[in-house]
Amino acid sequence: MAASKSVGIRLERKKDASLLNWNLKKTYSPEKVRVPLRCGSRPCVRAGEHVQTGQKIAEPDRPEEVTVYAGIAGTVTEIASIPDPTGATITAVTVQGRAEPKSAPVVWEVRKGWEQISAGEFMMTCQHLGLVTTDLSSEPVHAKVKKNAAARTLIVNCCEPEPYITCEQVLLLSHPVEILKGAELLRKALGAEKILFAFEECNFEVGELIKSKIFFLKWDHAEARAVPALYPQGLEKLLLQNWFPGKEDQAVAFPASTVFAIYEAVAHQKPFYERIVTVGGECVVEPRSLWLPLGTSFRDALHACKGVMREPDKMVMNGPMAGIAQADMNVPVTAGTAAVLALPKEIVKEDPEEPCLRCNLCVDKCPVGISPVMITLAADHGEFGIAAISGAEACIECGNCGYVCPSKRPMLKKIRAAKEGLKTHRIRETAARHG
Amino acid sequence: MAETPKTFSTTLAPHIHSADSVAKRYWGQVAALMPLVLAACFFRRAEFLHALLLSLISAVAFEFFSAKLFEKKNKFYHGEAVLIALLTAVLMPSGCPASAIILANFLALVVAKEFFGGMGEYLFHPVLFARVFLQGGVPGLMAEPMVFYGNGWILAAIGLGGLLLLKQRRGYWEIPFLYLAVYSFSDLALGCRAGDPLGFFTGVLFTGFFLLVDPVTLPLTRKGTRWFVSGAALLGALLSPRGFSIVAAGSAILLMNLLTPWLDIWLRPIPHSSRKLLKEGRAQ
Ligand code: SF4
Ligand code: SF4
Repeated sequence: MAASKSVGIRLERKKDASLLNWNLKKTYSPEKVRVPLRCGSRPCVRAGEHVQTGQKIAEPDRPEEVTVYAGIAGTVTEIASIPDPTGATITAVTVQGRAEPKSAPVVWEVRKGWEQISAGEFMMTCQHLGLVTTDLSSEPVHAKVKKNAAARTLIVNCCEPEPYITCEQVLLLSHPVEILKGAELLRKALGAEKILFAFEECNFEVGELIKSKIFFLKWDHAEARAVPALYPQGLEKLLLQNWFPGKEDQAVAFPASTVFAIYEAVAHQKPFYERIVTVGGECVVEPRSLWLPLGTSFRDALHACKGVMREPDKMVMNGPMAGIAQADMNVPVTAGTAAVLALPKEIVKEDPEEPCLRCNLCVDKCPVGISPVMITLAADHGEFGIAAISGAEACIECGNCGYVCPSKRPMLKKIRAAKEGLKTHRIRETAARHG
Repeated sequence: MAETPKTFSTTLAPHIHSADSVAKRYWGQVAALMPLVLAACFFRRAEFLHALLLSLISAVAFEFFSAKLFEKKNKFYHGEAVLIALLTAVLMPSGCPASAIILANFLALVVAKEFFGGMGEYLFHPVLFARVFLQGGVPGLMAEPMVFYGNGWILAAIGLGGLLLLKQRRGYWEIPFLYLAVYSFSDLALGCRAGDPLGFFTGVLFTGFFLLVDPVTLPLTRKGTRWFVSGAALLGALLSPRGFSIVAAGSAILLMNLLTPWLDIWLRPIPHSSRKLLKEGRAQ
């Protein structure tokens, strides 16, 4: 692989704490969930109604949308707008759990002949069982499959380049065969020829495990490929860009946890109402990765790990490099929540901004090969043309430039300002051209 | 379980930062200059000590007053003024009057740095700007730096300082070597006029290690920096007809400083995603 493709930062991984004790046998059951509904889905329950775990609570309005399910059994108490972890306002169905002792975990029936499922049935299953990708885009799986019909290769992304996060790794170590089978189902539905499992080179036990299972299944259309353990190598966009330069449309990547959810949906007919989440950070008493029903509040997520031992300074959804800081702990876990982090002051302290030293560190560490310094300096001076030619629109907001900057400049804020300014600039230009 | 506050800070990512800082960078350079400063104190004794103290005092005073004048926070703790003072002292010739040292610090800190926008904004290397300006203004007064004479220990001290800089990994490692290579090659090509090889290497290595590390005046890409350094070395060799001369090397760097904005635009990075498209476009 060319050197330019492996640009990144070797970060302290901080994953050991959450790898100390993991047990994915049981889903944590909070007393209340506020299940986020997707825009384009309509609630099909009313306040006061009782629901079971895995019961449908919203139906899609559009063919590209999915059904939504309740993650706990209880009573619907409210359907209202709430802020989600990305800052958007969404509709959520609040389910208050029952007071009686927790019932035994729900067992889903195995579908007969699931391995021979047709592509049409696969798509229907994904839509009806509410499958969305377990990354920030939370794209419905059937819509993503349809959109990538030309893909010849399926990439199953097992990488977690951000510090603290271990949910994919833990899931892979617990359910490798299920993930491989889910990948095969997905490959057939896509009509792809090959499956590539991407894992970080420092996670060699994951790599070896996948390789051994591929060998055991006698698959010659699957391969496990290592990715340098440099942040942000392993993000979906970079995998596509680095492995299929200029031919990104010939491959499609899905997170391993999505592939596992696909396996569960197709083989066991289990709806997508829970996801694996890493609850971590120095403030958490017992950091670990665990199953949480969608809609669990961040407060309950921390509670599931015995709470915090000291006051966090920041609550972050997903990693510390590109994650989103939360104003409070009431936000719900969504399909895109890979981690809930409670970080102390000494980790997230912010030093005052200094003038740019033009040291080029941000340029050298930018994984997409653009010039963050030129973009941000141009944005400071309102020069959006220069921001554009410096590659503002190619920025994947990985946070590398802000991390390395010795002047502690708020790079992302400036890059977003440049992108916004560029949009307005273009609209004005178009308007001027059309009179 | 500790009680948690209701609201948290919601600044944008990244939520963690590297331990690098502006102050660490400047003080790191100051530390790397120490072997040379100590060697100069040892060999040049009172003369260099006098220049050094005067330079330090005047730099601190100018930093303080310019902060007042330009209504900025005094950032003495960054170490930039100390670095400028040390470099200025090192570049002063033997027998240089006190007024020239004070003037050099004024030119570097107030004129070249603050008048051009202050930290991170200035166009010309402040110390070289001051040194070349003084040479132009009072040519009879300014000769080659008092520490640049053929002394193996001084050269070793520069080498040691260079190693310290390389260990800090804050600049491009190839820059001093590229400068040395292009300068020596150009000098050879122009007729090998390096009369005193020890003095020549002292000057070239000092310039490569300590005068080409100020990122503010260098281009914004590694490739651009290599072009800059090669250009500065070639021009420096062309401008000094008798071996190495600090004024020729300095003038060459200042001339290249003028080209930096063009190098930034010309050699700006191309996103990986558009490289292939560009190549195809060219092929068609
Ligand atoms: S410019 Fe964008 S892609 Fe490049 S390092 Fe910064 S955040 Fe990452
Ligand atoms: S890392 Fe910071 S100081 Fe260095 S060039 Fe980039 S923006 Fe400027």
